[in-house]
Amino acid sequence: MSWTDLLLAGGIALGALYLLYRSIWKKGGHCYGCDSRTCPTKPGNKGC
Amino acid sequence: MKSQAALKINSTPPKVLTVAVAGNPNSGKSTLINAIAGTRLQVGNWAGVTVEKKEALVEYRGRQIRLVDLPGTYSLSPYTQEEIIARDYLIQARPDVIINVVDATNLERNLYLTVQLLELGIPVVAAVNIYDEAEQKGYRIDTGLIGQTLGIKAVPTVATRKSGLDELLDAVLEVGDDPAAHRPRQLNYGTDIEAAAGRVEQRLRELRPTAADNYPAKWLALKLMEGDRDVLGELDLPDHGAFREVLEHLKRAHGEDLEALMADARYAQAAGLTREVLKKPEVSRVELTEKIDRIALNRFLGIPIFLAAMWLVFKLTFDVSSPFSDWLDKTINGPGKRLIEALMGLVHAPDWLVSLATDGVVGGTGFVLIFVPVIFAMMFFLTFLEASGYMARAAFVMDRAMHAMGLHGKSFIPMLLGFGCNVPAIYATRTLENPRDKALTALLIPLMSCGARLPVYVVFVGAFFAAYSGTVIWSLYVMGLVMAVLMGILFKKTIFRGEYPLFIMELPPYRLPGMRSLMIHTWEKGKHFLIKAGTYIFAVSVLTWFLLNLPWGVESKRDSYMGQMGAVVAPALQPLGFGTWEAAASLITGIIAKEIVVGTMGEIYIPKAKDEPQEEPPSLGQDLKEIVVSFGSAAKEAAENIISFGSGKFSTEEKEKSKPLKSLLHKSLTPLSAYAFMAFVLLYMPCMVVAVAMRHEFGSWKWFGVTFAYQMTLAWLVALIIYQGGKLLGLG
Repeated sequence: MSWTDLLLAGGIALGALYLLYRSIWKKGGHCYGCDSRTCPTKPGNKGC
Repeated sequence: MKSQAALKINSTPPKVLTVAVAGNPNSGKSTLINAIAGTRLQVGNWAGVTVEKKEALVEYRGRQIRLVDLPGTYSLSPYTQEEIIARDYLIQARPDVIINVVDATNLERNLYLTVQLLELGIPVVAAVNIYDEAEQKGYRIDTGLIGQTLGIKAVPTVATRKSGLDELLDAVLEVGDDPAAHRPRQLNYGTDIEAAAGRVEQRLRELRPTAADNYPAKWLALKLMEGDRDVLGELDLPDHGAFREVLEHLKRAHGEDLEALMADARYAQAAGLTREVLKKPEVSRVELTEKIDRIALNRFLGIPIFLAAMWLVFKLTFDVSSPFSDWLDKTINGPGKRLIEALMGLVHAPDWLVSLATDGVVGGTGFVLIFVPVIFAMMFFLTFLEASGYMARAAFVMDRAMHAMGLHGKSFIPMLLGFGCNVPAIYATRTLENPRDKALTALLIPLMSCGARLPVYVVFVGAFFAAYSGTVIWSLYVMGLVMAVLMGILFKKTIFRGEYPLFIMELPPYRLPGMRSLMIHTWEKGKHFLIKAGTYIFAVSVLTWFLLNLPWGVESKRDSYMGQMGAVVAPALQPLGFGTWEAAASLITGIIAKEIVVGTMGEIYIPKAKDEPQEEPPSLGQDLKEIVVSFGSAAKEAAENIISFGSGKFSTEEKEKSKPLKSLLHKSLTPLSAYAFMAFVLLYMPCMVVAVAMRHEFGSWKWFGVTFAYQMTLAWLVALIIYQGGKLLGLG
């Protein structure tokens, strides 16, 4: 495995980790019924 | 609105009119806003759908109107979360106009809230909604007289048919443009109350001279007479003793409970008004709703009918969706995978990257996507039950079982929502009045089998119980319900001792839901799974691939990091019948989201199957033709399954065994251990998103910690009993 491959693999793994963190932890997941401005799981909302 | 387009041309930007939409639960507030604004607010035929306030901006006759959908409430007392949200908004934001949505089929109860809205002094327009059903019942409602008597505008509407909306918005503009001319009439609650209210107002002016700057004076006086804790707190008055002298006469004449006295006075206003404006047919016929309810709510038949309804939902779900799932399976793992391989070959991608894309992403995320038709079909049938009004009956018939757990039927509504997804169900617990009910209900919600667990069942049922697919999956949903009742009883006797409050369940009339509305809400619920597939299921698929292939160059997946993790946990699962590292690794990744259990299995098992001899791949043209033809066959098969109700099953045993993952599952599991595995997936800890939702809703990790501990124990014990008990009975 070359250095380029290692860098690419590391980047993909880090990207996946960030996506996981962003979608679960930061955004609190997604749920139906989240179409309101006050929904706590929507980004930018401070909760109800 | 047909008049909008012509009137959009307006050079001066007019003031945005803020209009709060208030009304009883299930009076059609959200439907009315959706009809006016074309939005997709969550609508259901049961109480408590709108827990938060929601907004929509519309343009009408060149004016901008901000519609604020408040939670459905029966009153403006500060007892439930909905009442507090609605009341705080009306008092603090002081909207220009209130649209009070009044259910025409249940006028008296709805007018009780109207009477309280009038006390706020904000101009009111009453939308006398569901007017068509009232007419069908032979009711004649004099909306003109409602308006005259209360000093408001009253307009008949049918939100589901978009009828009366122009008249309603015209009335809103008229009232909003000249609020002074449309102040609602202050109702007279009788000599004693009015006199006391006047004296309380006067005393308040002495004690808190500026209070009336922020609140309507009479409303404040009435609230202080009721001993409203929130208002007393807001005014920094520790209790209503400050008005004791003033209220003495009232208490001598009517007793100590002034709150009940005020409620009686308001009910009297609502009842009196109803008598004036509503004419019912002399001979009341037995309505369809009553006829159905005599059977659906029967004390002996109620629960069996609910269980039969749920069985029917699963049966129809599989009959409709299984041909489409098979089609997606063939398409993703055939032409889809070949296309990705071809594209990666074009850019000379290294072998590991091709494997990541095909074995990781397609094997993991793609495998979960196969079950999208199943999930959408189930959401469709559950939405149908919700919108028809049956789910409210289900909560009613479960009321007795809920009492055994120290809860009432209202707690069953969030639990029913949990069949779709546990996350909104956790948020729906805020409709419950006291923190004890909220916490206990939230602890039981993860036992409701959410849609995410469905792909796991489908894989295992397809492999081991194809002939009884609907029934086996139904048994798992029933198992979740039974466990919820048992755990509820246990919690009631241990950490949640105490009395449960009494509650009157609202039973809305049965309605045949419109297809458009059903499709919209099915999409709203189902799209959640597509979003998950594109975000954290995708991310976990990629990470799982790395864990299955590290240390780099590892020969056997058993020696990979994922294999080693699985091997550590596997001995604990040995007594349950599925003590393999593959099963353990799938359960570990399933902590993120339950669908990932099958995604991980797809990644672990399918590459093994790939080693088997492959046929010559077809050309792109042949692939495209096959996709179209097989979709047509799937649609035909689904239609045949529906028509020949009873013979449909998820798939045939032979067909399932021919699929790589399922044939590999047969090598390591028996039907008994497969059932124990499904029970474990049903009951073991909730997914991470539910954990985050619980933390958000309760402000700490405490209740999630309790859920984690009891669910892991319960899952292990139940799976153990199923497997070991089954073996003893000779089923293994």
